[in-house]
Amino acid sequence: MTTAAITVKDLVKSFGEPGHEHVVLNGLSFDVEHGTLTTIVGPSGSGKSTLLNVLSGLEPYKSGTVQIHSGERSTTDLGYVFQSPRLLPWLNIIDNIMFVRPKGVQEGTHRQRALQYLGMVGLKGVEQKFPHQLSGGMQQRAGLARGLAVEPEVLLMDEPFSHLDEITAEQMRTELLRIWQETRRTIIFITHDMQEAIQLGDRLLMLGYHGQIVEDIKIDLPRPRKFTDHAFVDFYADVVSRFHKMQSDRAEELAVN
Amino acid sequence: MGLATNASAAQARTDRTVQVTKRLRSLIFSYRWLALICVLVIWQVIALTSNIGVLPTPLKVVTAGWELVSTGLFFKELAASMVRILIGFGLGMLLGLIVGVLMGARRFWDAFFQDLVVLGLSLPGLIYALLCVMIFGLGLTAPVVAILLASYPFAAVNIREGVRAIDKELIDMARVYLVNRSRVIRQVILPSLLPFILAAVRVGFTVAWKVAVLTEVFGAATGIGYQLRYNFQLFSMRTMVAWALLFGAVMLVIEYGILVPAERYFARWRPKIKEVI
Repeated sequence: MTTAAITVKDLVKSFGEPGHEHVVLNGLSFDVEHGTLTTIVGPSGSGKSTLLNVLSGLEPYKSGTVQIHSGERSTTDLGYVFQSPRLLPWLNIIDNIMFVRPKGVQEGTHRQRALQYLGMVGLKGVEQKFPHQLSGGMQQRAGLARGLAVEPEVLLMDEPFSHLDEITAEQMRTELLRIWQETRRTIIFITHDMQEAIQLGDRLLMLGYHGQIVEDIKIDLPRPRKFTDHAFVDFYADVVSRFHKMQSDRAEELAVN
Repeated sequence: MGLATNASAAQARTDRTVQVTKRLRSLIFSYRWLALICVLVIWQVIALTSNIGVLPTPLKVVTAGWELVSTGLFFKELAASMVRILIGFGLGMLLGLIVGVLMGARRFWDAFFQDLVVLGLSLPGLIYALLCVMIFGLGLTAPVVAILLASYPFAAVNIREGVRAIDKELIDMARVYLVNRSRVIRQVILPSLLPFILAAVRVGFTVAWKVAVLTEVFGAATGIGYQLRYNFQLFSMRTMVAWALLFGAVMLVIEYGILVPAERYFARWRPKIKEVI
C-alpha cells in the first residue's frame, strides 16, 4: 500500500472581497502518490500557479483540505523551483543553497548535500560564484539544486524551464528526468507546454476554466520519450484534441451567456 | 592538495599586490590633482596682486595649519566635534532607520510621517542649531539634538525607498522554505537595504557635520565651529582658512578611507558597471 504524498480534497480558492469573489479553484480534489512525477497543464488563468502557491502555503485557501506528507508543514516537506531562479544576488551559489537549510540538519551535512546536488545538476566548480556570473540556465540549475538539497518529500516546479532557450530547456528536461529517477522525489511540474508535460510526466492533470480538473491522464509511454516516436505523436495528438475540445466548449459557453 | 592551496594563496597575494600598485599609480597620475593645482595657482596670484591685504597666500595658510596640527589643537578640537557628531549622527541614523522602515512597510506610517519628513528635509540646518542652543543651552545636548533632527529625515527617505525596493519574490522564496525570521532579516532584508543605508549615511553624515559646526559657532567653547567663530572675532583670515582646509581634509579622509571602501566591499557581489552613456 502506498500512502499519498499529497492529498487535496474539495479545495476552494478565491480572490477578492466576499460578494465579489473570483473563484479560481472550485472544489479541486486529487491525490499524488509518492515518487511520481505529475505534470499539470491548463490554459492561462486556470489557476495552475495559484494551486502551487496554495500547496506551498504562500496563499491561504477558503475551504477544503490540503495535506502534504504527514500533515504538519515542516522544513523538509517542500522544495520549490520557481519560474525565475530567485537566488539571493549577494550570496554565492553555495551560500544560496545553505540559505534554505532545514531545521535539524547540521550545517556540515547540508553543505555536503549542497555540493552533491550541485554536482548532480552539473554545477560542480561554481560554488563560489555569484549568481550574476552565471548564465540563466545555470542559475536555474542552482535553483533546482537548492530545492533538491532540502531532500523534500515533494518538489514543486512552476514552469521552471519556460524562460530558457529551447536547447537549454530540452537539456534540462533530460537532466530532470535523470535526477528524478536517481532520487525518486515526488514532483509536481506545472507547464503550459503540452509536449513538455507528456515528455516528463507519469500522469497529466489538465485544469479547466472552472477551477476543476477536467482530465486526469496516465502517461504510460516508455522512457526515454522522443518527440518523433509514433506513440508519442499519437498521445500528444490525443491530449491536444482534448484540450481543444475544452476550449471550444468554453467558447460556446461564453457565446451563450 | 596542500601544494595547490599554497600556490593559489600565493597567486591571490600577487594579484592583490598588483591591484594595490595599480590603484596607487592611478592615484598619483590622476587628473584630479590638476583641479587642485589650478586653484592654488589662482589663489597665489590673487593673494599677491590684490591690495586688500586680507587674503593670505597659500603658504601662510599652510604654516598656520601646520601650527594647529603640530600643537595638537586641531586633534583636540576635532575630537570634541567628532563626539557630538557621532552621537547625534548615530541617533539620527537609528531614528531614520525606524521611521524609514515604518514608512516603507505600512501605509499608515507613511502618511503619518510624510509631512514631518518633508519639513525636516527642507528646513535649513541653521534653524535647528539656533533653536537647540536656545532650548538646551551650552552642553552636549544641543548639538546632539540639532544633528539628530537635521540628519534623520535623509535617512528616513532613503530607507523608505529601500524597504519598497525589497524583492517580494525573494521573500516568498524564503517563506516557502520556512526560513526563520532572523535569517530572512540578516540575509534578505539587510543586504537589500544596504545600498540605501549607505546612501543615507553619506548624505546624513555631511548634514551632521554642517549642523555640528553651526551649533558650535553659537553654543560651544570647544570644537571646530567654536574655533571658526573665535578666529572670526580675531579677524584672523589665515587661521580660519586653515581650519576650513583641515576640515575639508578630514572629510576627504572619511570619504576615501571609510565610505568608498565600505561601498566597494558591500557591492562586491554586483556585476561591474559599464558606462552606457
